[in-house]
Amino acid sequence: MHPEDRENTAGGLTRRRFLQAGVAGLTGLALSSVSGWLKQAAAQLPPGSYNPQLQLSFPVEPGASLRILRWSQFVSTDQPEYERMAQQFTRRTGVPVRLEYEAWPDVQPKAAAAANVGAGPDIVLGFFDEPHLWPDKLVPVTDLAEYLGRKYGGWFPVAPQYGYSNQVGQWIGVPIGAPGSCLNYRMSWVKEAGFDPDPASFPKTTDEFLRLCRALKTRGHPTGFALGKAVGDANSWCHWLLWTFGAHAVAPDNKTITLNAPETVNALEYGRQLFETMIPGVAGWLDPNNNRAFLAGEVALTNNGISIYFAAKNDFPEIAGDMNHAVYPQGSAGRPTELHLFSQAYVFKYTKYPNAAKEFLRFTMEDPQYPRWINAMLGYVSHPLRAFTNLAVWRSDPKAVPFRDAVARMLPHSYQGTPGPKSARALSEFVIVDMVADALTGRRSVREAILAAESRLKRIYEA
Amino acid sequence: MAGIEATVPARARRPADLIGRILENPHALGVLMVTPAVLILAIFLAYPFGLGVWLGFTNATIGQAGHFVGLGNFRYLLGDSVFRLAVLNTILYAASAVVCKLLLGMLLALLVNREFRGKRIVRAIMLLPWIVPTSLSALVFYWIYDPTFSVITWALRRIGLAHGFINYLGDPNLARASLIAANIWRGIPFFAIGLLAGLQTVSTTLYEAAEIDGAGPWQKFWFVTWPLLLPLTVVVTVFSTIMTVGDFQLIWIITRGGPANATHLFGTLAYQRAIQGGFIGEGAAISAFVLPVLVGAVLVSFHYLRRE
Amino acid sequence: MRRSALTTALTFTLPLGTFLGLLLFPFYWMLVTAVRPNKELYNLSLNQLWTLHPTWQHFQKLLFATHFAPWLGNTMVIAVGATTVALSCSVLAAYAVQRLRFRGSGVLGVAIFLSYLVPPVILFIPLARIINELGLWDRPAALILTYPTFLIPFATWLLMGYFRSIPAELEDCARVDGATRIQVLRHITLPLALPGILSALIFSFTLSWNEYLYALVFLSSTGAKTIPVGLATELITGDVFQWGPLMAGALLGSVPVALIYSFFVEHYVAGLTGALKE
Repeated sequence: MHPEDRENTAGGLTRRRFLQAGVAGLTGLALSSVSGWLKQAAAQLPPGSYNPQLQLSFPVEPGASLRILRWSQFVSTDQPEYERMAQQFTRRTGVPVRLEYEAWPDVQPKAAAAANVGAGPDIVLGFFDEPHLWPDKLVPVTDLAEYLGRKYGGWFPVAPQYGYSNQVGQWIGVPIGAPGSCLNYRMSWVKEAGFDPDPASFPKTTDEFLRLCRALKTRGHPTGFALGKAVGDANSWCHWLLWTFGAHAVAPDNKTITLNAPETVNALEYGRQLFETMIPGVAGWLDPNNNRAFLAGEVALTNNGISIYFAAKNDFPEIAGDMNHAVYPQGSAGRPTELHLFSQAYVFKYTKYPNAAKEFLRFTMEDPQYPRWINAMLGYVSHPLRAFTNLAVWRSDPKAVPFRDAVARMLPHSYQGTPGPKSARALSEFVIVDMVADALTGRRSVREAILAAESRLKRIYEA
Repeated sequence: MAGIEATVPARARRPADLIGRILENPHALGVLMVTPAVLILAIFLAYPFGLGVWLGFTNATIGQAGHFVGLGNFRYLLGDSVFRLAVLNTILYAASAVVCKLLLGMLLALLVNREFRGKRIVRAIMLLPWIVPTSLSALVFYWIYDPTFSVITWALRRIGLAHGFINYLGDPNLARASLIAANIWRGIPFFAIGLLAGLQTVSTTLYEAAEIDGAGPWQKFWFVTWPLLLPLTVVVTVFSTIMTVGDFQLIWIITRGGPANATHLFGTLAYQRAIQGGFIGEGAAISAFVLPVLVGAVLVSFHYLRRE
Repeated sequence: MRRSALTTALTFTLPLGTFLGLLLFPFYWMLVTAVRPNKELYNLSLNQLWTLHPTWQHFQKLLFATHFAPWLGNTMVIAVGATTVALSCSVLAAYAVQRLRFRGSGVLGVAIFLSYLVPPVILFIPLARIINELGLWDRPAALILTYPTFLIPFATWLLMGYFRSIPAELEDCARVDGATRIQVLRHITLPLALPGILSALIFSFTLSWNEYLYALVFLSSTGAKTIPVGLATELITGDVFQWGPLMAGALLGSVPVALIYSFFVEHYVAGLTGALKE
């Protein structure tokens, strides 16, 4: 039998079963049914997309044990699967693994303490340019990263930008994936506004998108995009807004601030028109606000991860049936320019068992463990390696598909510079979000907002 | 004095042995009594404190030790518009919140300082805003101040006093007011319970004497209660000021210092710069600006506490 | 001068009622949210102050699906331990600085105060180093010993304020009668300062109960966490706040403390107000 036939049959069975389970509710999703179809979906990497013959293994130190600090789950099926993976690893290598979870914003302070104390977890799963804050304190993982890239069809371009440190000249992080964000919209209201609610026909240009938002607002269904200090949602859409008009904050030399340009003006002017279609109060929105507004039917359109859809499936099935997702439209940049919550794993040098740590990371990124984990997360996290594009989760629920290519479509937040302490600082200061918020709410004129942000960036980058 | 005499062992003789003499000597006894506190602070605070002060003069980041830059951080901060805004925010926030908490807390303490049915329940209940972990009460206010879902707006609309949305957390000035209100809510019990304990040591004979002289309630308060309570009031107020100036969790959870950095205080800005941005030297320098507040607080309270 | 019922209502019941109403309203909201089913959570057309279909599922989830019970135990142990340590040191130190006026007490009083100059945000990293060296990582003892760093200065100054309000003549009389300094402290000052000590106690207890940053950094395993950190870890999943269980946790994490405090107050303080009448 041709391998593709086997795969299609497997795909068909799993899709039906997954949809049934989805309707029953997220918490009702028994892990047994998940692992059942997961086993069948084992062969999800199309032949030719990866090199199964490549092998690598790190010699695990005798008596090794590992402590891993990671972000706590976004979806209740994540941790059980990750723990299963860890137990599997222990059975194979004899290395006990201790998993510690913290709310995702709390990982960085703990990692900071560990970095300074010289003791703590061996592996940390962090976000954005966290490893670049202490690059010389990390075990180089170049061999592992290059192996994974060669074996699984290559990393998406953004991955080495986050994983590789110019300062140290090595990979310091292993990209794990990114919780993606997309436009979430109510299909019936989009239809009412005169647009085709199918995601494939969703507006692909910024002009068309603005027309849609205006039409929605006229019919009493405003949009809503976070302009407060929402670490996920505000950063995502504000950076997209800037980049999709060809604007950017910093030049590739990582020093020159390029914000003050006509493209930025265009982006903000467009943003102002978009703002008029928004619900009042967005200037104070943190990450959970748009979830609430959407689930209450107060907004027809917002940007968010797949969490709204999940809450809807659980508690608001009418909305779950009426909503869909679409990727961000494109402006004059002419290509995808998105920002998602990029996560990567790094290993501290103080660990007594660097090989065991690298072996664990290798294990969790390889087929079949990684696909199983991604599938278990039901669309929350998207892959950084090309070969994993066709995993079962993306073929099971069409509404999850727009999240699939998050890492493929994203730019690093430091664009056009490289991730490092300066971009970490710019991100934590919300310079871009503040600029967009100032200009859109009218607190400052477009010109003044750009100048204020430029001067803040200058202080950060040229310090 | 009859009651007190009965509690002291009758005719206790001052011991003549060495230990006894030490325990009688105010200086020796004093040193002995402060030793436990000093020991804990010396072991756990001295080094971090010294390092914390030192860091303000370096360009240390979380990952790198950095080197001495003198007053560089301070100069940078004074030229930083966000920091200057944080200074103004902190002054506004602390001043309004502390004054309101003092007045309301004193009022509440006076109200419950009497016998009435349900006194015990009331005194326990009024402690609740202080007891509930800030990380959770802040979430409640986050919801209460939601532009769409605020129960306040909902109630006002039901009554007919408001239409549309109130942008509690999106408008800079409203956001400041909202957070100050939340801080007052959480801080009233501190003043109320703290001052209540002081009120309970004021002997009622003083009030009776004042009444005989024809004093009304206001005069009783101003001439009897207030002077006796002053040292305690000063201490409680000073502490509240220090804690309010350093407020972190409440602000961080509700606005993270936004919108437009209108609610950034020293504490939140220091955290953002030091931990999230990684510039721990600068974060330490931000915290150092609390020094004038501390010095003022020390001088004021010392004046009241040590005056004989 | 007997007060009319109206006067009482206006000068006592109404103001007190208003206070209690404002202080308690968020708790009422917490209670409603803790029993409100998720489906109703975002429905604006429903009454925001009431729920027609109360459910216990959030409390069940909190108590059985999270590690709430161990967290409650940890938080209690740590708060009690830290308060005991801090208060023992502070009572002695406050008495020494305020009453004994020994050489250097002034400087010491100021020095203790200055420890607020560097906030936990900056302190926690070097403190982590010390905790690690002492082998206290991931143990409640780490917090029991580090919380006093911000509790002791606070409690000491607070107690100094309370001691200040106790007339020195009472102690002088006792000493004239032949009591030793220790006896004066034990039999005169401490009993009179009891209301103050109890407030310092409840404040220290709640400051420990409430603390987030040190508890986050120094404790690691799920079972070892305190309530604020544990609830954030398990009930805040990304941008979704599980409001029902969170509010249930807020209630269960505060109401018992208030009840215990009220027991203390009733038992120890009320009787004392009578003893002061001479």
